[in-house]
This record gives sequence, C-alpha cells and structure tokens, in this order.
Amino acid sequence: MSLTYLFFLSSGLFLGWSLGANDVSNIFGAAVGSKMLKFKTAAVIASVFIIIGAVFGGSGTTQTLSMLGEVNALAGSFMVALSAALTVYFMAKTGLTTSTSQAIVGGIIGWNLYAGKATNLTVLAKIMSGWVICPLLSGLIAVALYFLLKTFINKMHIHILMQHQLLRLGLILSGAFCTYALGANNIANVMGVFVDSAPFQTVSAGFFTFSPEQILFFLGAVAISVGIFTYSQKVMATIGNHLMKMSPFIAFIVVLSQALVLFLFSSSSLHDALLALHLPAFPLVPVSSTQAVIGAILGIGLLKGGRGINWSIVLRIVAGWFTTPVATLLICFVSLFFLENVFQLKVFLP
Amino acid sequence: MFHIKVSLFAHTKELEQKIDELHDKIVEISMVFKKAFHLFLEEKRSMNYRKLSKQIKTIEHDADVLRRDIESQLYAQNLIPDFRGDVLELVENLDKVINEFDEVAHQFYIENPDIPEIYHQKMKQLVQEVCECAENLAFASRAFFKDFTAVRNYSQKVYFLEHESDKTTAKLKEAIFASDLELAHKLQLKTFLSEVADIADLAENCVDQLLIYVIKRDI
Repeated sequence: MSLTYLFFLSSGLFLGWSLGANDVSNIFGAAVGSKMLKFKTAAVIASVFIIIGAVFGGSGTTQTLSMLGEVNALAGSFMVALSAALTVYFMAKTGLTTSTSQAIVGGIIGWNLYAGKATNLTVLAKIMSGWVICPLLSGLIAVALYFLLKTFINKMHIHILMQHQLLRLGLILSGAFCTYALGANNIANVMGVFVDSAPFQTVSAGFFTFSPEQILFFLGAVAISVGIFTYSQKVMATIGNHLMKMSPFIAFIVVLSQALVLFLFSSSSLHDALLALHLPAFPLVPVSSTQAVIGAILGIGLLKGGRGINWSIVLRIVAGWFTTPVATLLICFVSLFFLENVFQLKVFLP
Repeated sequence: MFHIKVSLFAHTKELEQKIDELHDKIVEISMVFKKAFHLFLEEKRSMNYRKLSKQIKTIEHDADVLRRDIESQLYAQNLIPDFRGDVLELVENLDKVINEFDEVAHQFYIENPDIPEIYHQKMKQLVQEVCECAENLAFASRAFFKDFTAVRNYSQKVYFLEHESDKTTAKLKEAIFASDLELAHKLQLKTFLSEVADIADLAENCVDQLLIYVIKRDI
C-alpha cells in the first residue's frame, strides 16, 4: 500500500473515526451512562464486533452503494468520503440529526453529476425508502419488544437484583449484536467508495481467506474502533441522554431494536432467504443508526402517552433526509472541481 | 467466562436471600414484641419478659448485620446503580422500624410502667394494630423486589392500620387524662403510647417512599 493511497484513504478513515465516535455512543451510551457497563468493556466489545461485522457482513450494502455510482478514481473517492465526513462533522456541530449513510449518498450523487455519469434512480429510491422505513420499523420493533418483555417480567416475578443482572447481560449481548450489525451496515459508507481502487491482494489466514474488499473493510473498522476508544466516551458523556432519559430496561430495548433494524437492512443471507420464500426482502442499504435509535425512543415514548417527546427532533430527522445529502452533494461537486482544476488530479475515469 | 457468570448470579442469589431475611426479621420482631407486651401486662418486669426483651435485642442486632451486608454488597457487586440509593434508603427505613420495636421493648423493661388493668384491652388492641401494620410493611417491601402490583395492596393495609392505631392511641390518651391517676403517671403512659404508635408512623412513612419508588421504577 503506497503512501499516496494511504493519503487518499485518510478521508474514509476520518469518516470511520467519526462514525465510531458518534454512532457507538448511541449503542452503549445509556448502558455506560447508567453505570451498568464500564466504558472499557463497552469499547472492547464494540470494537471486536464492529470489525467482525464489517469484514464478514459488509458486502451487501457496499454492492448497493456501488450500484448508485461506481467512483472509479482514487482522488474522486477521497473527495466523496471527505465531503461526507465534513458534512457529518458540521451538521453534528450545529446539532442537526445526520447520518453517514445520507452523507455518502449525497457525495456519490455529487460525483456522478460532476463525472457526467447517470445516477441509478431505482437504486436511489431503494436507498431513500430505507431511510424512511428505518426509524418507523425501529419504533414498531421497540413497541413490540417493550410489550413482550414487560409482560414477561411482570408475569415471572423476577427479583429486582436478578432482573438487573439479566439486563446487564442483555445489554452486553444486544450491544455486541448491534455493533456487529452497525459494522455490517455502515462499513459501506466508510470504505464503499474505495472498493474499486483497493490495491490489496487476497490473503489466506488459516481457515479464512480475505478478499481485497475485506482487507479494506478491516482498515475501515479499525478506524471506527479508534473513534470508539478516543472520542466516544466524550460523546456518551455529552449527548448520552439528550434524546430522552432512559432506564437500563428502555436502553436495552432501544439497542435491540436498533440492532434488529440494522441487521435486517444488511444481512445478505436473510435477504436471499426471504426472496427464496417469495417474501418481500429488505433492501440492502446503509441506514442511519442514529435515526433507528430515535425511532425506537419515539415508539416507546408514544406508547407511554407521548409525554416528554421532543417533536422538534422528529422534524430534524425529516430535515436530515434532505439537508445532509444535498449539502454533501454541493460540497463534493465544488471540491471535485478544485481537485481537478487546481491540483490537477484525475477525479474520474471516463 | 461461563464460570464467572454463574458465580455472579450466585452472589446475587445470596444477596436476594439477605434482603428476604431482613423482611423476615420485621415479621419476627413484631410477633415477639406482641408476645412480650402481653407478658408484660400479666407479669410486668419478670424473668420471662427479660428473656423476650433479649430475644428482641438479638433480632435487632441480626437485622443490623443484614443491613450492613446488603449495603456493602450492593456497592461491591455494582448492582442496580440506577436506583441503588432508593434501595439503600428503603433498607435503612426498614431497620428504623426494627430499632423502634427494640427501643420500646427495652423502655418497658427499664421504666417498668404501671398500666392499670382497665386499659389492658385497648393497649393490646393498639399493639395488635401496630404489629400488623409493621408486618404489612414487610410484605409490601418484599413485594417491591418481585411483584410491583402487590405493593399497592399491602400499602393500603398499612395506611388503614396506621389510621386505626392513631384512633386507638387518641382514645387511650383521652381516657388516661380523664382518669384520677397522678399527672406524672399519666405523662409516663402517654409517652409509652406515643412510642408504640410511632412504630406504625414509621411503617407509614416507609410505605409512602415505597410507593414513590414503584412509580419511579415502573418501566
């Protein structure tokens, strides 16, 4: 791997770092905030499962993104990832709900427009439908889980202390599942645009054979892990409970709902199995973990009578569907122009 | 890993057992107190009463040991961090009820008050109400750890019995102060009545907090 490649890859790694810092705090924030789990335990679990999810389950969503636009020059990939990272950074600074998934889609469309390539509208519609379905589905799953688990706990008369221990175990397992699903679903955002230009060889290690794509995903997942260890604790401390103060029980439901939704939108095996049974399958698209969390919290909030729900957050989600991709598209388009004309770099191949 | 998890659950089971035992102590001390009071009315400060008074002291001491164990283990095992404070407060308040039983029994032993026979029946009724009140507190608190819906039922019984004990105390005080007893004697009996009634008041305060914890914990 040359230094030039590493330099261009840095924007994707930066995007991965910010994903690790922000999105993992949605998964383990409430558990760490309520002292059910130590930060170090959460960080180790998250890092291990993000890497496993990214390396072994990240191909499905990546294929969908490359169908939207095959970014075929390294400098172009660099700018798509950088514009997405900058948008996420600035949107987060201004307190707007955003997601790397929406940003990267905007970036790819920006590159398509600049390179004069056609954007596959069917794929775009599929991806956008995922963004709308994601919070709605997460809310529905959270409501169903809340009913089921509450009835179970009330009927079983489990001692509070045992409930606590089971809940702690549940938070660890659901957190691990959720970080696995996050890695599988969101690695496409971080590394997807670099897949076509990956310079790696296939590597065999014991029983496993790693494709160039998987090695690239591994690097992206390591960047996400660095984000988790270096910055997510701070994010957990500052925004951990800003949506709604969650009890460990609610946190468990929210994390599990988020995990299920991310899994549904990223599992190729489940997708194929549903299609084989002639059932409608979930599109394999990268979705926003933050919006899945918000959907789950809103679902439970509405179930409890809708008190204390911050409706402006709902508006922010809807606003995010438009503002994030549009902002990234504009940044990407303008930056590609500079990259090509000022720095004389090839940002696309005809 | 599996071994660690199993041993973690074993520690939790042990702590559950201790919390259960603390509730048992309330029921036990209440029953021994009732027996001791009946004996006091018949024999005053006798050897038999002394034995029961010592038994009450032992129960109170055991409850103190349990309380300290529960408090330290809750921290040591980092259990229920989100409402550990509430549980610690509850355990402290249960212990206060147990302490009050011990104090009143000891006070009877020290002061050996002369209780005229005409008040015996009403006094027994008061002790019965107060003891039932404490026992229902124990049931409500035990339910708090396993079955929230039952807490309300027992709490209503505590409120009812506390109110009844207040009425009985008021009637007794009225009768005592209308009698020909010496003022010092009247005041001594009034103090004892208030101390016995305090047990029900403490139980009521404890149940008030318990119901708030239930609302806070309603998931």
